[in-house]
Formats: sequence, structure tokens, C-alpha cells
Amino acid sequence: MSNNHRLPRLPGEWIDRAHSIEFEFEGKHFQGFAGDTISSALWASGQRVLGRSFKYHRPRGIFSLANHDVNGMMQWGQKLNVRADVTLLEMGMQLSAVNTFGGLNKDPAKVLNHLSRFLPVGFYYKAFHGKRLFPRWERVFRTLAGLGKVNLSTPRLLTPKDYAFCAVLIVGAGPSGLAAALAAADQGADVVIVDENAQAGGSGGYQIGGELAKREATEALLVRVIAHPRIRLLTGIYAAGYYTDHWIALVDDKKMTKLRAEAVVIAAGSFEQPAVFRNNDLPGVVLGSAAQRLIYRYAVRPMQRAVVLCANADGYRVALDLIVHGVMVAAIVDLRAHHQPCDAEVELAAKGVEMHTGTCIVEALPTPGCSGVAGARIAAFANGVADAATARDIPCDGIVMSVGWAPAANLLYQAGTHMRYDDLVEQFVPDALPPGVFACGRVNGVYDFKARLLDGERAGSAAAAHVGFGEKRSVSVPVELESSSFPWPIVAHPQGKNFVDFDEDLQLKDFENAVQEGFDNIELLKRFTTNGMGPSQGKHSNMNALRILARLVDKHPREVGTTTARPFFHPVPMALLAGRGFHPVRRTPMHLRHAAMGAYFMSAGDWQRPEYYARQHKDRLECIREEVDMVRHGVGIIDVGTLGKLEIIGPQAAEFLERVYVSRYANLKIGMTRYAVMCDETGVVVDDGVVARLAEDHFYFTTTTSGATAIYRELSRLNTQWQMACGIINHTGAFAAINLAGPQSRKVLARVTTLDLSAAAFPYLAIREGKVAGIPARLMRVGFVGEWGYEIHVPAEDGVALWDALVAAGSPFGIRPFGVEAQRLLRLEKGHVIIGQDTDGLTTPFEAGLGWAVKMDKPFFIGQRSLQIVDKQPQRQRLVGFRLDQAHGGPAPQECHLVIHDGAISGRITSIGWSHILCAYIGLAMVTPELAKPDQTFEIRITDGSLVVARVTPTPFYDPEQRQQKEEA
Amino acid sequence: MTTMLRQSPLAGWKTPDQLVQDQQGTATLWMVDRSLTPRFGCKGPSAGEWLAAQGLPVPAPANSWVEIHNGRIARLGRSEFLIEGSETIVSRLKSSPRADGVYPVLRQDLALALGGQAVRNLFAQTCSVNFAAMGPAAHPVVLTSMVGVGVVVIPEQIQGVPRFLLWADCTYGPYLWKTLLGIAKELGGGRVLAEIPGAQALAHESQP
Amino acid sequence: MKIINCPINGPRPVSEFFYWGQMRVMPDPVASSDDEWADYVFNCNGAPGVKREWWCHTPSNTWFIIERDTEKDQIVRTYLYGEEE
Repeated sequence: MSNNHRLPRLPGEWIDRAHSIEFEFEGKHFQGFAGDTISSALWASGQRVLGRSFKYHRPRGIFSLANHDVNGMMQWGQKLNVRADVTLLEMGMQLSAVNTFGGLNKDPAKVLNHLSRFLPVGFYYKAFHGKRLFPRWERVFRTLAGLGKVNLSTPRLLTPKDYAFCAVLIVGAGPSGLAAALAAADQGADVVIVDENAQAGGSGGYQIGGELAKREATEALLVRVIAHPRIRLLTGIYAAGYYTDHWIALVDDKKMTKLRAEAVVIAAGSFEQPAVFRNNDLPGVVLGSAAQRLIYRYAVRPMQRAVVLCANADGYRVALDLIVHGVMVAAIVDLRAHHQPCDAEVELAAKGVEMHTGTCIVEALPTPGCSGVAGARIAAFANGVADAATARDIPCDGIVMSVGWAPAANLLYQAGTHMRYDDLVEQFVPDALPPGVFACGRVNGVYDFKARLLDGERAGSAAAAHVGFGEKRSVSVPVELESSSFPWPIVAHPQGKNFVDFDEDLQLKDFENAVQEGFDNIELLKRFTTNGMGPSQGKHSNMNALRILARLVDKHPREVGTTTARPFFHPVPMALLAGRGFHPVRRTPMHLRHAAMGAYFMSAGDWQRPEYYARQHKDRLECIREEVDMVRHGVGIIDVGTLGKLEIIGPQAAEFLERVYVSRYANLKIGMTRYAVMCDETGVVVDDGVVARLAEDHFYFTTTTSGATAIYRELSRLNTQWQMACGIINHTGAFAAINLAGPQSRKVLARVTTLDLSAAAFPYLAIREGKVAGIPARLMRVGFVGEWGYEIHVPAEDGVALWDALVAAGSPFGIRPFGVEAQRLLRLEKGHVIIGQDTDGLTTPFEAGLGWAVKMDKPFFIGQRSLQIVDKQPQRQRLVGFRLDQAHGGPAPQECHLVIHDGAISGRITSIGWSHILCAYIGLAMVTPELAKPDQTFEIRITDGSLVVARVTPTPFYDPEQRQQKEEA
Repeated sequence: MTTMLRQSPLAGWKTPDQLVQDQQGTATLWMVDRSLTPRFGCKGPSAGEWLAAQGLPVPAPANSWVEIHNGRIARLGRSEFLIEGSETIVSRLKSSPRADGVYPVLRQDLALALGGQAVRNLFAQTCSVNFAAMGPAAHPVVLTSMVGVGVVVIPEQIQGVPRFLLWADCTYGPYLWKTLLGIAKELGGGRVLAEIPGAQALAHESQP
Repeated sequence: MKIINCPINGPRPVSEFFYWGQMRVMPDPVASSDDEWADYVFNCNGAPGVKREWWCHTPSNTWFIIERDTEKDQIVRTYLYGEEE
């Protein structure tokens, strides 16, 4: 528990020793400092086992310390997927390792490690190829393989998202990124530079090689970047994905920022790669850069006694870093047979450190509990093969690997960059970059420190010039003298457990087996082995898998190719993706009046509409029934403001309407209305409404609620094409509309208007303009619900006043508001069609009983030519009215129940409801023509399989002679 | 009695005690409902000509505006206009006889003014347009989408403090208001004012 | 996300737009045979290439044409109907 692995204070360390933080891990108390990550604090306290692996439950510790592996995946209360390596320590944290049973130490599932023989690659696919066994075992697997437990009562987090803009975005604030930022900003560009780490500087802050002064150059750049007025430096934020036109998702721990750049420089560096040897996953086997991060960021000594496995100059620098900070380096083992000694190597030789070339580590020897390293078994290594006869054991408690790198090129791939394999640096490098995208530094295959700064300057300047700031500087970047990556850091072992993908517990032989079974191309290999499909998404495993495949199929890595790198670079929490969740809602001006009257609202697209008005002690059906009764016998009032309302004005207004609707409107008298049906080019009914003529060149017409936006848009497009002398205006939101309906409606209206409401002055289907309650209004006598009634349209700002006036005027008559459900029943009693419910995506007007509205002798209307063709063909279906027997007592059919005739499907119910006034179930059904005869019976199959008999009935069911619209005798 | 009939789309949705005065305009982020300001709309191939014939200065470039006595006239796109001004001007336009190629548009907008030092952050969360890159001297009018709703935005700078005028379909009123106010409060603002702060008021809006 | 340059409103993200489909010239309904008409109404050439498409900038209800290479999803140019030049 004591911080006995903590080094004395180092300049530039990220921890704040003045603030200690207490926390718990697996029930034990620990202490760390502000600025520590969970892993660094645990490691400093001597805790070596941070988690257990996915499949075999093997103990795991720090490996990359860079979010390139998930050995330390933890849970804190409701917070899942806590990545210990990069999550800052917080006071009071209570952490547990995921993927264990009964805790990290006693995890009984570690027995799986010994059963690995029975769990080969492709295990699920093979064992459960026949599906019988899977259901029983699925639950077991989900429990075994789960990574954390979700608490279903976790509250929803609403997080903000920001839009941001810049001229040049630099991804990565390491040495080359900082150089790029300065070059771009000096040319005048507004620069944003982001880095996923808590502080900027990248590898310039930890790839030291024993001498802190080596950090000076990076620190000097950083100071200039921070001071530069045109550079915004953002740390603790990563670029999650690259999207079209330089749209980058930037993610920090609180929110997502959607940045639009005009040019992007990727200076994301590279992922250090593991060597593959037996037990290379033991706690204590770490990557060189992980050891350096532990030392220089968190002042933690990575181990007491190390064996360093290397194949590049970086490895020797790591060894120096270890020695300078008190780690005993027992041996340096270089995979390469021949190489040019770097300065660090010369220094180490002078210190007398034991060094081997052409040597590999064959196996990491575990401690008795198998939870740490006890030693390294080394052997001669040539042509990719270890010579077991030369094996020798070196005691140590840590193995440091520095054998190679793979470019962090994810965003480059997403941007459409074509990469090529460079034999000199043994890695993929950008070959053809898309316009506006640039790369520099190690992701570009440049490893020498000075060369990286030059490469950054080149890229930054080019990016700025691309946007129009300054001229592209010509910078000569020296070629690499040696490769930093070894082409085959892999050692086979008869007993296996030499891991390639640590997330998925994949060993070398898993790849050999997969290729043997025929999964011998990179895409198949990935999916069969699951390599790269774990939380690290292949950051530490894709390159080795590629090398293995190349060797197994005898190809060069460039021929094998890479799999597709998709967003996100690191997993993004769902809460950040969802953001606030904007869901637009539309309300009529009278909304609060409805709420006050007990309305129960429903969604109709974006709109909120009263479904019915709740009354005390009455259930929903009763309320709806009462609303219907009121309209039939007294007076009801309904808000129909959601209807689409369009106007068309101009000399060719009538002509335009005749082209888009199936009926004639040129002969519509001023002051009258006419039903309107719209078809698409194929002759299918898409909308209906009412057209009213206000003047020779002025029409006001309505559409369905759901069709309004699309119809206005399409009519605008048609007129853009036809260029007729008329203009179309969308007044859907600008007008409030109320339907006052029932035998008493005229008396009510008469109390608030001086308009002549007699049948002679204001006949059925007429439109009049006048004042209602002092408000200028358009009134139409319409027939949707089948009672004498008025649809009154006023400007939205007067909607509430109109509603109040009508409710007050109707109060002596017992006026009641009615909602959508009552309205649907009322119109059903009249047999009126609802487009989209009683019609579908293939219904023509003839099938829907709307053939009477179609005027085929017009010169042109949309759908006309198609209807000519359809008219010649035998009709496939027809909409009919039907009723059930009055005595029907069982469950009623519902919309979409099927009509069965002679054992075949012969139609479906489109609308059905109980009519109180007719005392029967009535409805509309789309049936085959043979069933569409008067008095024909057919059967409807309901949910429980039983059949209900219905009889074809002419519509309207109620008031077939339209008496309600006629003046009383 | 006729003046009491008109109601803003936010009537009943803004609680009275939220309405405060702020003469100095010191609030970090304030919002004002100016939906009842008199306004008139028209569009069509001859709309610009007709407005000029009515004696109004018509902005020439698409998506720009000019000041008029007691208000402003904005060209939305190429051939649509939104005029806000005194009751006199607006009534005169509304009652003028219709001309060929001019189509009157009934404007019943939710109209808001938002301002304060933090108002840009509110727009950064809700609108993908880069207002900072617009030179206000050009008097831009921006037709875009915010939180899922089509809006007209005029960005301004009054004595160095940013201010935005915003218009949207009134049926989205309560949704837009609640959404923007919620974000404003989170940003440390969200003061709902009865009128635009004194120093920044538009001349004709000195009465609600 | 992709940027589209509306001829009236300038560059905007694709979420502000509505895609109608490919511009197709309606044949003379009177002169076409039933088969020719059905082909026009139902069939569309899906082969990749530079197509002319109807698009709408929804906040301003601006309809315009995009010439787009559908293989690379690259916009060649945008213009108002009738104002190709």
C-alpha cells in the first residue's frame, strides 16, 4: 500500500505530490496523487495484477499504458469500461476489475487457462454449428465473457455538443505536431492542435534516453505553441474519427466537439508493438514506452531488475532511462544480428551492461503464483527461429520490449489515404493523401527526432498553404538510417501462450490453425480469429497478425493488406454520442387550453394532438364515446390546426392546381370548395384535402397533417421546373384552425359573428371571409365528420382568442372539445377515407372509391398517364364498407387483420370502430373485387385464429342522404 | 379589446417572474420574446420592385438586410422579404392591394432576441454555422437549422457584445424556447427579459 | 459530414438538405407507349457516373441541381435550375 515504487520528484512529472488521493481497488485501500492514473497509482503501490484476460482469465498488468491495450479494465459503480491506464484517479474511487468471478485474485475462471486446448480459435463457430446446444450455453457464455455489469437504473446523461471551426487541425501534440502547428500558424492560419494525453509533448516528454535535457527541444516548442495567438491547444481530447470534408469528432471526457477544419495534419505518432513469446502477457512484461511513461509522467519505477528486449535505438534509450532511475538492467537482448550501435548503446556498453545480439526471449518465466515475472529465458535467434539448445535463464522481475511500431494511421485511412508498406522502416506509410490531408512524424515513417521536427514543419506549412495562407515551404526531411521496427519479433513455442492479441487471448498457433482451415486472407483471418476486434481494435495486434499471415501464405506484407480502420479511434460513451437528443415538437397555439381541459396528448408526427379529453370517473373509451355523441347531437369543437395549409396566387394558379390534383378547379366558383386528391407519377394516391377559391387567381388549400411539409416542398420543385405564373405559400404554422361541428354549431357561431349563416348565403362546401369574435377569419362548411359544421381559420396569434370565444359561446349548449379518436370514429361513420390508413403505397384512386374525383379528360395531371394504363387492367382490390353482425359479442377485429376467403388471403381491415349511434362495429376493408359486392359476406381472421363474419355495407353508414347538411324543413 | 386578442406562441409558457429588466445589459446570456412585433412578409419575382415602389429601401444582395425607420427589411434568399417596423408601415403594407408577381406571406413567427457575452456558446451548441467568420458589416441574414427547426438568424455586434435575432415557425415556439433556455441556464445565463436591454434596444421596440 | 454549396445560401452541411433523386426528363405522355411510360416511371439507371440531381435546401426551401459523381460521391457543381451557365 505504501508508494514504495515511487521515484523522487522529477521535473515535469504529471503528479501533484501535494494532493494525495485515497481509493479502493478490489476492496483494498490504496493511495496515489492527483495526476496519477489508476494504473500508475496501483503500480506505484506494488499492485501488479490489474485485471484478468477475456478468455483465459490470465492475470494482466500494465502493458502499453497508452490506451492501446485493455489489460486494466475496471468498473466504478455505474461507470463501466473504466480504462485504468488513462483514467485519472479521483477521490473515493471504488474500483473492481471486470471479467472476474469472486475477485481478481481468486477468480475461479482461471481454470479456463488450462482448458485452452479445448477452446481453440473458432470455438463458438465450430461447437455450435448445429444450433441445438447454443441456447443453453448462451447464458453461460454471456456471464463468462461479460465485461462489467450494467445497472439498468442508471439515469440518462444529457451532454452538450459543440460546433467548432478552424483553418488547420493538427492531431497529436508531440514533437512533429507542435512543429506543424507553429509552421501553419506562422503563415497566418488559425490552428487547433489536439492531444489525447493530459499534457502535450507526446513522446518528446518521455523518450528521453537518460538525459532530461533531451526534452528541451520539445518543451521549447510547447512554450511557443501556448503563447501563439493563432493556436488553440487542447489536451485530454482525442480525434475520434475523420468524416467527409474535414469534419472531425473531437471527444473529451465530458462532451463531443464537431470541428470543421479546412485542412488536417495527422501527427498521431505510432503504437508500440509487442514481441510475441511464451507468457509475454505476464504482469511485468511491458512495452518500452510504457516504462518510460511510468518514469517520466508518474515518477514510478517500473520494476527492480529488468531484461530489455529490443530491435531499435529506442530500446537502448529505454535501458538508459531504467538505469538512471534505479532499475538494474540485467541484460539487453537485441533481436538483430547486425546493426549500427547508437549513442545510447555505446554509453550502456561503457557501463558494462550485458548485451546480446541475434538473440530473442523464448519465454517469460512466471513467479510461483503465475502473477509476475521471475526471469527471462533467452536463446539465439536467426531467420526468425530460436535455437532452444542455446537457451539460458536470466532472473528478473520485469521484461521491457522495444521491437517495433505501427503507425496510428486510423484517421488517415478514414480520410481515404492510400498507404504503402515501406521496407526501409518496416511499416505502412502514406502513399497518396487526399487533398487537404497531411501527415508527419512517426505516422509518416519518420523516427529520427530532428527529422520529425522538419517533417512537422513541412506538413504544417503545406496545410496552411492549402487553405490559402502563405506559400508551401520546401523542407528536406532526411531519410531514416535504420528501421525502428523489426519485421519478425515472433518466437514460436511448443507450449504456446505466446500472445498476439491481448484483448482476445489469441496465441500464435490460433493464426496457424485459422490459415490451415482456409481463412487465409486478412479479412477472413480477422473475423475467424477475432484479432483486432476487442476494445483496443488491433492497435497492438494488427501489425503482428499481418506479419504472421504474410509468412504463413508466403507473401510480402504489402501484398497482404490491412483491414478497414473505422471510427471511433477510442470507444465513445453512448451519452456523448446521444448528446442532448433534440426532438422537435410542434404544438398548436391552443395547446395549453387543451391541457387545461384534460386533454390526453398523442404524437402525430412532430405534432402534439389531443387524443381525447379525460373526464373524472370515466375511462378512455367512455370519454371518446361521449365526445362522439356530443358532435352528433349537440356541438363539439376540435383543434385541426395541424392540417397543412397552402395558398397559391397568380394568373396560372388554377392551371397549376389542375396539374397536381386529379380534379378540375378552373371551374370552381369563387367562394366554394372542392375535395382534392393528389397522386404521384405512378397513379398512387398520396394525399387529400380541400381546395377553396378566394378569388379568380387565389386559392387556399389544405393537405393532411403528415403530408404538409413534403407536399409544399414538392409543389415548389414542380413550379421551379414548370415556371408557371403563380406563387405557392406555406401557411401551415401561420394559421390556427378550429372545427365547430354538430347540429347546434350554427347557433353557437351566430353568437360570435355577423356573417349570414343561412343555408342560402353560406351553403354546404362554401368558403366565406369575415369576422368571428372580432378576428378576421376564413370559414368553410366542410363535411369530414358528417354534421353541420364550420372549419374556421385565423392567424395563429388569434387562435386562443377564437377558441375561448367559441367555447364561451357554446357553453349554454354544453359544447365539448373532442379529440383525434372521436374525429376518426365520426369520419368512419361517414365512410370517409384516411389517406395512408385506408390506402397504402400502391392504392390508386379507383381502388379507394375515389374514381369519381378523377377527371381523365384534363390535358395533364400527375399520375394521369399511369392511371390510363391501370384503368385498362383488371382491378386487384377495392375499398368497401362493412359491418359486423349487431349481435357480435366476442373480441373485435383490428386494423390489419386479414380477410380470408376460400382459404386464401383476400384483403385486410383498414379501419374499424364501434359506432354508438348505429349500435354496431363498422369499418373499411380493402378486398378482392369478387368480395366487393353489396351484401357480400366475408370472414376476418382475428389474433386468436378465429373467424369473424362481416357484411359489405354501402357508405356512408350514417346519414347516407346528407340530411345533416341540409337546412331544416 | 382587439390588442388583447394577439398572443405570442410563448403565452403561458414563460413564467411571469422570469421577466426582468436589465437596462445595462450585463446578463451573461439573456433572451427576449419579441413575437408580437409588427411584421409583414411577401415573396415573388416582383416583390422587391413592389416594396421599392412603397418607398422602402430594398437590400440588393440575397440574404442581407437594411435598416428602415423603426425596424429592418431583410431579403430571405433571393426573392422573399421580411419587414419589421412600426405598426404604421406594417399595416400599410398589409392593406395595400396585391400586385402581380407579389405574394403576401402571413408571418406569425416565434421571434426571439438573444444576447450577452455567452450567447456565442449557445449558438456553438445548437447551430453549425460559423458566425464568427461573418463580417457583420455585410448585414448577413442566415437561413439554417437549429435543434431540428428551420430558423432565420441575423447576427449582430452591439458595442462589442454579440446579439442574435431569430425567427422560426410559431408552432415550434415552446419547444425552441425551452430547449434554448435550458442550454442558456447551463451556460450560466438564461435570464428572460421583458425587453432587449436598454443600451442595445432596437429603437422601435421601447414598448413591449 | 459532407458540405454542399447551395447556390443561394453557400456551403452548408448535408443535414440541411433533402435529396429528391435524379433529374429525368418526362417523355410526352401522349406520344409514349404504355411500356415507354412505365419504363420512365419505374426504371432508373443506377450505374455510377456524373448525374444531375434535384436537391432542396430545406431551411430556405431552395431547389437546385447538383451534378455529382456518384461513384466517388464528389460534387462537380451546383446551380439553380435553368441557370447552368
